[in-house]
Amino acid sequence: MMSIFVLIPLCPLIAAVVLSLGGRRWGDQGHRIGIPAMGLSFALSLYAFFEVVTSGPISISLYRLMQAGSLVVDLNLYIDQLTVLLLILVTGVSSVVHVFSSRYMIGDPRYNRFFAVIALFTFSMLMLVMSGNLLMLYVFWEVMGLCSYLLISHWAQRKPAIQAATKAFIVNAIADVGLGFGIILTFATFGTLDIQTILAQAEGLQDHTINLFWWLGMEYHIHPITIIPFFLFVGAMGKSAQLPFHVWLPFAMEAPTPVSALIHAATMVNAGPFLLVRMSPLLMLSPEAMTFIAIVGGATALFAAMVSMVQSDIKKNLAYSTISQIGFMIMLCGIGAFVAAIFHLLAHGFLKAFLFLSTGNALQAVHTNHHAANPHSSHSNPKTSLYVGALVLACLPPFVIFSGPYEGVWVANGFGSARIVFWLIGLATVFFTAIYLFRGIMLLFQHGPTIPNVEKGGTVTIKPQLFSPKHVFPLILVGGVMAYLLMVIWTWLVEFLAPALPVSSLLGAEVTVTTASSWWMLLPVGVAIGGWMYAMAGQRPRAQVHSEEADWKRALYVLFLHKGYFDEWYEVYFVQPTLRFANWLWRIVDIRGFDRVVHSVASSSLLLASWLWRVIDIKGIDRMVVGLGGSSVGLGRWLWRVVDVRWLSYNVRQILKGADVAGQILQETETRTIQHHLLVMVFWLVSAICLLYFLV
Amino acid sequence: MTIFTEHMISWMVVIPFLGIALLAFARDEEWMRRIAFACTLVEFGVSLILWQRFELGKQGMQFVERMEWMPTFNIQYAVGVDGISILMVLLTALLCPLCVLCSWRAITTRVRAFLSLILLVEGAMIVVFTALDLFLFFMLWELTMIPMYFMIILWGGPNRIAAGIKFVLYSLTGSLLLLVGILGLYLEGGHTYDLLVLSEQTYSSNTQFWLFLALFLAFAIKMPMVPFHTWLPDAHSEAPTAGSVILAGVLLKMGGYGFLRFCLPMFPEASAKFAPFILWLSVFAIVYGGYLALAQTDLKKLVAYSSVSHMGFVTLGVFAFNSQGIQGAILQMFNHGLTTGALFLAVGQLYDRTHSRAIGDYGGLHKTMPRFVALFFLFSVAAFGLPGTCNFIGEFLVLVGISDTSFAMVLLSMVGIVLAAAYMLWMLQRVALGESTTKAAAVLSDLSNRELATVVPLAIMVLWIGVYPGPLMEMMDASVTHLVQQMAASQSSIPALALIR
Repeated sequence: MMSIFVLIPLCPLIAAVVLSLGGRRWGDQGHRIGIPAMGLSFALSLYAFFEVVTSGPISISLYRLMQAGSLVVDLNLYIDQLTVLLLILVTGVSSVVHVFSSRYMIGDPRYNRFFAVIALFTFSMLMLVMSGNLLMLYVFWEVMGLCSYLLISHWAQRKPAIQAATKAFIVNAIADVGLGFGIILTFATFGTLDIQTILAQAEGLQDHTINLFWWLGMEYHIHPITIIPFFLFVGAMGKSAQLPFHVWLPFAMEAPTPVSALIHAATMVNAGPFLLVRMSPLLMLSPEAMTFIAIVGGATALFAAMVSMVQSDIKKNLAYSTISQIGFMIMLCGIGAFVAAIFHLLAHGFLKAFLFLSTGNALQAVHTNHHAANPHSSHSNPKTSLYVGALVLACLPPFVIFSGPYEGVWVANGFGSARIVFWLIGLATVFFTAIYLFRGIMLLFQHGPTIPNVEKGGTVTIKPQLFSPKHVFPLILVGGVMAYLLMVIWTWLVEFLAPALPVSSLLGAEVTVTTASSWWMLLPVGVAIGGWMYAMAGQRPRAQVHSEEADWKRALYVLFLHKGYFDEWYEVYFVQPTLRFANWLWRIVDIRGFDRVVHSVASSSLLLASWLWRVIDIKGIDRMVVGLGGSSVGLGRWLWRVVDVRWLSYNVRQILKGADVAGQILQETETRTIQHHLLVMVFWLVSAICLLYFLV
Repeated sequence: MTIFTEHMISWMVVIPFLGIALLAFARDEEWMRRIAFACTLVEFGVSLILWQRFELGKQGMQFVERMEWMPTFNIQYAVGVDGISILMVLLTALLCPLCVLCSWRAITTRVRAFLSLILLVEGAMIVVFTALDLFLFFMLWELTMIPMYFMIILWGGPNRIAAGIKFVLYSLTGSLLLLVGILGLYLEGGHTYDLLVLSEQTYSSNTQFWLFLALFLAFAIKMPMVPFHTWLPDAHSEAPTAGSVILAGVLLKMGGYGFLRFCLPMFPEASAKFAPFILWLSVFAIVYGGYLALAQTDLKKLVAYSSVSHMGFVTLGVFAFNSQGIQGAILQMFNHGLTTGALFLAVGQLYDRTHSRAIGDYGGLHKTMPRFVALFFLFSVAAFGLPGTCNFIGEFLVLVGISDTSFAMVLLSMVGIVLAAAYMLWMLQRVALGESTTKAAAVLSDLSNRELATVVPLAIMVLWIGVYPGPLMEMMDASVTHLVQQMAASQSSIPALALIR
């Protein structure tokens, strides 16, 4: 009965296969396969949710992938409390994205391909969260990277799009070296790749060591339990766009907007926090890795929030906002607040999807990515204002998101004085997030698109009022209700996730503190409101910003405007040198080095051959032979002239004459038969052989 | 029926030669192609029957046939397959029909000769992979070189003569060393050429050292390992498509097969002694080949240099001396045959259209050739070992195998995989995506049904092995286990084996 849940990933897969094989036959009806498949998946996920709530984790074994020596890999799906929440998020968001795309992508020449790939994308994310062993997780981790490549390069004739796609994949591939290595290290330590077995054994193997340089005869022991989380986390840094690897995500905006919604909200970037939470019992055994994770997450959160604050392109703005939020989740994982991280992940997922889809609508309406550019487009959709209104609503809840997970930060008790730093980072992130969201929306509204007025003719510039009194009250009401709901959900979530996270100390602390200190959440909300206020007060045209600000402020502004120059750095210090090095290796080392050695062997043997021919053969042996020949000829002439003609021939003539005479006489006396001659020859041969025999 | 079932391998050897004889009677070029294609298909069918009748879990040779050939010198005609060689036989039989298919329109001159050469090389390779007699092995090893040489110099690209000569010179050097090694084995192993007898014997460490060196160099040139690889890009890029496919798909595997068949079982001690050196050389080859491929502007050369990198994984796995490594290496050989063969086929399909191999001459193919781009994409990502495709399984097993020896090697090899992703995706970006750079590239026609039939079987295999390698791994499991045990028994101090938990 439980095996019905296999259909959760299978439905999108079938949709993907059908669409990719029979794409043309379906014309522009690709969504008719994609949407029902995703809907079924979503329904089954809900069913799985109730199943898990009532009767605990579900495990479904599929088949044995391979067996080589001690390495046995069985594929199995594991659905526990953590997985099931992610399932609902992924299938839910993906269903919405499917429905949205069926309209958004109309008229696209690669309509069915698009649906095939987003179905495959969803499938890989579903398999990733359901996978019961690390290898399977890695497989779908990578397949997801491939899908993102395919989707980012959807408009394949656009150069920025294909460059962004390649960039995204390669940045991820570099980070995945870490994950792959971590998995191999895990196998070397635990002898298995089954996640639950690994987590169960982790505590027992804490003192296990591996001598890293035994093959050099050196003693260098490491605790694999300490370093495995580092490597796993490097993989997560790539997929979740953490600091040194974050560069691909803003460029991934080249994809059609629904894809951005999928990448930012449901798939891809969520894989990182998911992996950390999934492996949390292992992570907890390595305080060093936890510290590292927290630092990277915090740095990313702060940096991306600040970059986002100064971007003028709304999609870039949202991309850096995602990076910042994911950094926040990673930081929460790093300080042990795993429940908070998942909570933030879910809330962020749903809200970001909403944000993106409404942005997509708005952008489709004005046909541009830049909200600050004040576009004058003549083919706009009069309904724009409605969608933009939806955008406003979407911006309120981030307030509330900050409050929930923030408790995790307060109760993190594993880091002593360091926690002050994380508080400050967290608060600063909240502050900047509030500013950039507000600023983004304000800019969008201030320079509203100009559209033709259908009824009266002429054009109308849409400038919705953000804070007209009749909007403020409902917004506050909705916000309050949502905050309350989220608090309720939060309390429930802590209890629900507890069995999936066998984390001993921190979780316990969290559970006990929750009720007592929930008023702490007012602080981040307060900070966020402060951010809004500041942003509202600081609203002014950008030209003035440049002229009035102090130098250091301007320098900072430029630094963040250029996203910290990461792309430029990578281009100059990494990509170009690699290509140059490759070229150098090929031209200098391979062709001039290895190949020239072979060539020089060949040419030296040719030289040798030619020398042998000219000097030894022609000048030496041949001349000798020629000389010999010449002298032979001379000798021959001499022999002919002197010996033969003068002497021999005379004698021969005499002998012949004698023989002739003798023959005549013999002929007359006796006729000799041929047999007689043969007998004589045989006699002589036999005697010669006898002679030889005796001699030897 | 018995004459068929008891002489399966001999049939496989004979069928290509029968095909050559039949070709002699064909008048029409179309009929020649049909005959050659039918022969290779029958051969493939027989290989499938062989696979189906192959008993899993049996360690020794199966389908063994022995016949006296030159009794004076103890030379036999002896063939048989075990779990290692059957995969190579399957690979050979799979690729040859595709080679005939891909030359259907591409080869228009001397068709009869070309098809005969394909059949000849197929027959010879089947013998190489099944021979149980060293003399037979050596003879047919040499024979594979001759058709390849003629394929390169008669139907090759503009620089074909130089490439052909380079190929022959390298190969001859290798064969000479192989001959020395085989004669050495004959003298040291009790005047027999019987492979099974020879591999059961133990040799003194001095003998092991020298014979290992001779055989290792012979196989390393064929493989090719790094300092001996420079024949490969030239030969691959100048050969006609079918030649490149055979060369990359099957001929290179002879080297790896030789390591497994000769070096490991016969000279375990010397193997262990040389292993660190060979392993580092392999790691170097992986990274170095990746960098070289990154620098290429010629499609075929890019694929050729990527072969150097992939073959590094094979040697890495073989000299890891454990089940994961060796199984990974064999699988990697098989997979490399599939993906690189497919890539050469795909590049050949482009070459047939434009007669250009330069990456810069293409671009924007996704618009005009969607089917081609989809398949080309699949093979390219498979070539850099994307999980879910066949190469990943092989590479992962090799990496797990080598992690017993050194984690540094694992990390460095993974750098090679990243490089592979970089050069493949960059190539795809320039060839398949974007806008077309030349007028010729903008008006190309998509794959015909015949061309689809050439590459689709490989695409199916690539995905199938990627998600379900079980059957192939079961097939080699017993033989590999036997090999590992043999190594362990004769060399209890091989440290890699001590570490297996």
